[in-house]
Amino acid sequence: MMKKLNNIPDQNPFKVPDNYFEDVNRKIISVTSGSDHEVRKISIYNRFRTSILIAASVAGLILISYSAIKLLTPVNKNSQVSDVLHEMSPDSIINEIDISSIEEDASSLVLSDEGPDVSKKDIIDYLLLNNIEINDIYEQL
Amino acid sequence: MKLNNIRPDDNISELLKTDLNKGFRLLVEKYSQKLYWHIRRLVILHEDADDALQNTFINVWKSIGNFRSESSLYTWLYSIATNEALALINKRKRNAAVSIDDLGSYFASSREGSTWFDGDAAQLKLQNAILQLPEKQRIVFNLKYFDEMTYEEMSKVLKTSEGALKASYHHAVKKIEKIIVSD
Repeated sequence: MMKKLNNIPDQNPFKVPDNYFEDVNRKIISVTSGSDHEVRKISIYNRFRTSILIAASVAGLILISYSAIKLLTPVNKNSQVSDVLHEMSPDSIINEIDISSIEEDASSLVLSDEGPDVSKKDIIDYLLLNNIEINDIYEQL
Repeated sequence: MKLNNIRPDDNISELLKTDLNKGFRLLVEKYSQKLYWHIRRLVILHEDADDALQNTFINVWKSIGNFRSESSLYTWLYSIATNEALALINKRKRNAAVSIDDLGSYFASSREGSTWFDGDAAQLKLQNAILQLPEKQRIVFNLKYFDEMTYEEMSKVLKTSEGALKASYHHAVKKIEKIIVSD
C-alpha cells in the first residue's frame, strides 16, 4: 500500500509563523507559572480517597441500620411488654400488689358510718326495676 | 525527526517530582512542536492548533499530579493533545462558522492558504484524502504515518486495542489510496 503513498514527498505542507514555537513556549510557561496546578489538591484526594469512600460507606451503613432499628422499635417494645406479661403468672401479678394497702382503703369506704343514705325500699325498688326475683331480695335483706 | 529519537522521558519524569517548574519547562520545550503538528494535522488551521496546543499544556500543568511516572509521559501528552484537538473540531462543527471539507478550495480562498500552506499538489491531495476519513481513522493514520507511533503506544493514547487500531489503519490506507487514484 505504501507504494502509492510513498510517491508523495514526506514533507510537512503546513507552515507556522516565524518564531512561533519560541513564542508559544514562552507564553505557555508564563501562563502556567503564574497559576496554581492541582497537584496538591488531587494528590491529597487520591491519598485519602479510599479512606473517604470507606468512611462514607460505614456512615451510610450506620444510617441505614439506625433507620431500620428506629422503624422496628415500636414493635419490639410491644413484644417486650407482652413477653414480660407472659412470664408472669396471675398469682405473681397479685403478689405484686400491696394487698394490705388495698384493704385499708377499702375498709375506710365499706365500714364507714358515713355511707350513702339509702333506704331498704329504695334498694328493693332499684332491684325490681332490674328484674331481680323478689324472694331473693328478701332473703338478702 | 522520529519520535523515537526524542525519548525516553526518564529525566523529565524525575524532574517533575523534584523541581516541577523546571521539569515542566523541559517538557514544553521538548514536546510543543511534536504536539503542535499532531494537533495541526487534525484541526488544519494554525489558529485552532495554537489554541489547542496551549490548552493541552495548561491541562497538562493542571493535572500533572494525576500523571503516574510508571506510565509513559509521551503517550499521556499525546492523549491530552488528541482530546483537545477533537474538542476543538467538535466546537467548530457546532458553530459551523468555518467548514474545511476541501483543503484546496479552502486554502485558495483564504489568507491562511497563502501564508501557512506550501505543500505541492501531491501533498494537498494526500491531506485532502486524509480529511475525508472518519475521525478515528484520521487520528490513527496520522499517528502511524507521520508520527511513526507504534500500535502499542497508540493503544495507550487512544485507549483502543492494537487489533482494532491495525484494522483502522488498514481501512484508512485503502480509502486514501482509492481517493488518490480516483482524483
